[in-house]
Amino acid sequence: MAERVAITGVGQTKYDTKRADVSIAGLCREAAVRALEDASVTWNDIDAVVIGKAPDMFEGVVMPELYLADAMGATGKPMMRVHTAGSVGGSTALVAAGLVKAGIHKRVLTMAFEKQSESDAMWALAMRIPFQPALVAGAGGYFAPHIRAYIRRSNAPDHIGILVAVKDRQNALKNPYAHLHLEDISYEKVAESMMIWDPLRYLESCPSSDGACAMVVAAEDSVSGDRAPAWFAGTAMRSEATQFAGRDQVNPQAGKDCAKEVYRQAGISDPRREIDAAEIYVPFSWYEPMWMENLFFAPEGEGWKMTDSGATAIDGDMPINPSGGVLSSNPIGASGMIRYAEAAMQIRGQAGEHQIDGVRTAMGHAYGGGAQFYSMCILTKDKP
Amino acid sequence: MSDVLRAPHAIEYTYTRSVGPVIDRFFAGLGEHRFQGIKGSDGKVIVPPTEYDPYTGETLTEFVDVGDVGVVTSWAWVTDPQPGQPLDRPFAWALIKLDGADTSMLHAVDAGDESKMSTGMRVKARWTEDNVPDMSSIACFEAEAG
Repeated sequence: MAERVAITGVGQTKYDTKRADVSIAGLCREAAVRALEDASVTWNDIDAVVIGKAPDMFEGVVMPELYLADAMGATGKPMMRVHTAGSVGGSTALVAAGLVKAGIHKRVLTMAFEKQSESDAMWALAMRIPFQPALVAGAGGYFAPHIRAYIRRSNAPDHIGILVAVKDRQNALKNPYAHLHLEDISYEKVAESMMIWDPLRYLESCPSSDGACAMVVAAEDSVSGDRAPAWFAGTAMRSEATQFAGRDQVNPQAGKDCAKEVYRQAGISDPRREIDAAEIYVPFSWYEPMWMENLFFAPEGEGWKMTDSGATAIDGDMPINPSGGVLSSNPIGASGMIRYAEAAMQIRGQAGEHQIDGVRTAMGHAYGGGAQFYSMCILTKDKP
Repeated sequence: MSDVLRAPHAIEYTYTRSVGPVIDRFFAGLGEHRFQGIKGSDGKVIVPPTEYDPYTGETLTEFVDVGDVGVVTSWAWVTDPQPGQPLDRPFAWALIKLDGADTSMLHAVDAGDESKMSTGMRVKARWTEDNVPDMSSIACFEAEAG
């Protein structure tokens, strides 16, 4: 019989352009210590450590899990590293949750990070391969044509991406951990920013951030801390190949399958009505309406109407990314775990200024690679 | 089998490293020609210092000055030094436990001849002239009496 699993502690660093004052280990440590404090546990109370980050090339530290063992208090304990590109923060948390669910460990510390200032993810994603032209496109360049295809397919008006960019940066102003605090963000400001990956403008794209996020995941009999936990009511991961004949890159099958499975586990039949808040991986503005459809919050072709009507705003009927999302903070390896942590914070009533009243069911979502890896969770206030 | 295309695939990028406060202080000491360790939860002195305790995971903060003289705990002789190594003549890579330290650090010993090397021998740091706050301040180690 599977154990019930809860998030009993969350910890985040302030996300920033450059944290030159700390080593990579020191950065990760900040998030881990905060998660332990939130769960009212010490290093001794942790049975295993599961960490995640984006590809090693992003920082040039090969096998960072070995270098980070002492910083994560992993001496004498099982420690492992998860690797699923941009979705890794979510997958890492789910591996930790799986170890508890299976009854193998009682309390697992999970942590994900990226220190983008020590590297250049754009370089790592766009390196010159022999016999091929150099595209120097990076992630935005990869996703731009799929966004164009979405706009054509759905007949969405041009301004939808701008609305998402403004909304998430306004939400970030309420989140002290967010990287971008653009006090003067406005529709005009986004509209006038440089077009870097047509149809994506500069301010419709995520920043490069330093930061780490950690959580304590515990079995029912090991729940600790002053604050009620957030329970995992559903967890799912799915993958698909980057390219195959008939692949729908706008509305990928793996994402739909993953969503169906996580809703099935949580007993959700109408996600828009039953989920109170969601933290969805939106690194480029148009991915909000695209994921609204992929996650069945809206019928196909109508996701943009949720953005347009304000439904996804912090005071809308389906708040998406009240934290400011990936568009406001993007330490790549951590970004997926931040979605889960922020969803947990909404359940636990610890989101401060960006807290939404009465959240009982929240969703965490991450995607990675060429929109080919998915990791999702449904968290609830009530024990599932 | 016919020839297939082959080409060099050079991958090159200059990363940045932030050393954090503990190694920063260790390096600053090297610039002043002195070694510092850090005291672990078991009272043992770790050199070079680590940010976190290897047993308990606690943050370590108690710096301890150690000597620039120590004892060789093991070694390997390098007959043909390679470009980029600390010395351009035969030398020993050695694990050196500095006086006051409980761990050994790796460095080169300029012993002249393999017959001069032995486990247990005492060696002293030879500092470079310029006071650079990093490992390059240590030219190598040499026999203490020498």
